[in-house]
Amino acid sequence: MRIHVEYDRCEGHGLCAEQAPQLFSLDDAAELTYHAEGSDVPADQQARGRAAIASCPVAALRETS
Amino acid sequence: MTRPRTVVIVGESIAGLTAARELRARGYDGPLTMMGREPEGAYARPPLSKEVLRSAVAETGLVYACADLHLQHVRSPAVTLDTSARTVTTESGQVAPYDALLVATGATARRLAAPGQRGELVLRTLADARAIRVRMDHAASVIVVGAGFLGMEVASAAAARGLDVTVIDTDPPLRRLLGSYLSDRLAAHAAARGVLTLRVPGAVGLAGNPVHGVTLPDGTTLAADLVVTCAGDLPAVGWLSGTPLADPAGIAIDERCRTTVPAVFAAGDVARLSPSAGCGGGRAPFWSHAVAQGKVAAASMLGQECPLRPTDDYFWTEILGLSIKVAGPLPLTGDPTSAEGDIHAGDAILRWDRPDGPTTVVAFGRKVPVGRLRAIARTGDPITKEKS
Repeated sequence: MRIHVEYDRCEGHGLCAEQAPQLFSLDDAAELTYHAEGSDVPADQQARGRAAIASCPVAALRETS
Repeated sequence: MTRPRTVVIVGESIAGLTAARELRARGYDGPLTMMGREPEGAYARPPLSKEVLRSAVAETGLVYACADLHLQHVRSPAVTLDTSARTVTTESGQVAPYDALLVATGATARRLAAPGQRGELVLRTLADARAIRVRMDHAASVIVVGAGFLGMEVASAAAARGLDVTVIDTDPPLRRLLGSYLSDRLAAHAAARGVLTLRVPGAVGLAGNPVHGVTLPDGTTLAADLVVTCAGDLPAVGWLSGTPLADPAGIAIDERCRTTVPAVFAAGDVARLSPSAGCGGGRAPFWSHAVAQGKVAAASMLGQECPLRPTDDYFWTEILGLSIKVAGPLPLTGDPTSAEGDIHAGDAILRWDRPDGPTTVVAFGRKVPVGRLRAIARTGDPITKEKS
């Protein structure tokens, strides 16, 4: 599976980073970094990745494959 | 309880979908039925009162992908619950048996229209948001009834689209939720942006049929091309009539999201926490609580222990370009106990310390991730920017 991040939509809430801290992190200015950009989500992180998608209050995350 | 063989979730809500995901994550691999009235299934609702009112493009990507959960979808609303036979019947006539049932039907908008009065607009669903957006395409003025966060978000979208906006309420903007200090600043912010907030001494009515304005307590009528009612929400318990769960104040749940009926659990906007469970014993119909309760309910349905609480005090809104993020309990009262930054410039972090209770921290117009806000609230750190 892959996760597409719609950066224009992201408002820096950071709930994704609470669900999947190995996939998402935010700096002090609430700028998001997605750590699996351009690659598949590791198998052991997929459940957390899907929980992160569901937790995003602005629907900025999407599973693409 | 023994492990359920069949689980039914009623309500295509964030509480319901979160519970479904948590059930699978916790190893439940049995039949999992999800029923709801939405033809699209579960979708993200927070954008409905923001981007979706501005542009049709914002509708893309709202529907949650859930093929991995192997749900049996029933695209029809539940109309009857039989708690002794343990079945749910849908409008389409399907009868679904359950060993464990989660009620996550959310809430419906409180309406002001008189019987037979047509044309009242409310905002709870994607269809509602589309209807309002299309009407805004051809409108020059809008009246929003209700200056809570939903009303102020609708007002913000309308203002961004260049409409003349009037918001009517008995209280100033967001006063009931955020207290007088932030309310005063939001009122000033709205005034500076040309949004008129009108305080009235009592209930208003809708004028015309179809609706074309609002009748104030003194009998005068204000006309607008569009009237949107944002006057609160009511737990969607109508379909539970005849059961002990049909409480118009919300389904009472304990800290494990259990109801008073065996094998029936509830989560999200439809539920009301018992006083011992949190939130002072009332409904707290916010996103983060619904997510937390979906998780707790899933564990409870499986008879598993769960360290999580059925509350998660994170709330946010965006009013006329100003984002407000809150970690900690609401409502707020009075002035903050400390502040950093410039509130008048819309760039501040404020904290409300309570002598015998948790702290609430507010990021006012400043982008701060929730983890950082929670840390400030939890540790009692002075409000300073972390050194990087």
